Amino acid sequence: MHEHGHDHLHEHEHEHDGGFHTPRPASEAELRTRALEALLVEKGLVSTDAIDAVIDLYVNDVGPQNGARVVARAWADPVFRERLLADGSTAIHEMGYGGEEGHTMMVVANEPDVHNVIVCTLCSCYPWPVLGLPPTWYKSAPYRARVVAEPRAVLAEFGLDLPDSTEIRVWDSTAEVRYLVLPMRPDGSDGMSEEELAGLVTRDSMIGTGLPMAPAPA
Amino acid sequence: MATDPLLATLDLPRSNGALVFEEPWQARALGMGVVALRSLGVGVVEWRDALAAAIVEHGHHSEEDPAAAYYTAWVAALERVLVERGVTA
Repeated sequence: MHEHGHDHLHEHEHEHDGGFHTPRPASEAELRTRALEALLVEKGLVSTDAIDAVIDLYVNDVGPQNGARVVARAWADPVFRERLLADGSTAIHEMGYGGEEGHTMMVVANEPDVHNVIVCTLCSCYPWPVLGLPPTWYKSAPYRARVVAEPRAVLAEFGLDLPDSTEIRVWDSTAEVRYLVLPMRPDGSDGMSEEELAGLVTRDSMIGTGLPMAPAPA
Repeated sequence: MATDPLLATLDLPRSNGALVFEEPWQARALGMGVVALRSLGVGVVEWRDALAAAIVEHGHHSEEDPAAAYYTAWVAALERVLVERGVTA
């Protein structure tokens, strides 16, 4: 992954060296960025690998598809599911989706009569390594305040009407613990491969404001 | 990611929720900023103020791409914070 970052930069530089792509002089901002990186590396404040890792984690490789693969594996493999619910951080790490230092990932499973939803009432903590960047509404004050006070009404606004008999559990993220919702496997998804299952998992279903998609009728 | 609320609190250029970079140097600038600010222990509030000031100073140029404008200001703000912290002259 780190190599990829380097290659990418090189390709880009070659373009300026007069390859076939439209030659374009580097902008002043681009030159300043390169110069600053070189300086900071020299001073030991940053390393190229650390920058690449941030770019990979948050930019290239970010998105709910990581979380979707985790959910799909949990649906397909009951042993993995057990491990995921017992120790989310380790199970997720096993799949190659690292977190950064200092926080625990806890996975909470929906059940027929229990629905989970996540929030960060204080700021906008979010399980980034598996869900990518948070949607704007997740960070909004109304969502943060209201999902705790009146989760059923908020979920209904997302189009998720839960019966009164369903218990709603709201998980408030902290600096130490991030939550991820494990939605229930949709009916009619028997026999689907893990990859196909991952295609049913939406970002919102892992936040708890939505459900996975139903499989297309065969 | 307790140490990295930067990306969550900033209003980075996005399209449909995904970060937008017009050119690779912009992603580079973002990654470099996150790593450098973390190493220096620069907090979100300080960085947001520095960035806001740089954005105002950079001004609005109608022909300029929004992501280019944002990351140009980002680099300028980073340079300033580094000078303030005595990292660079």
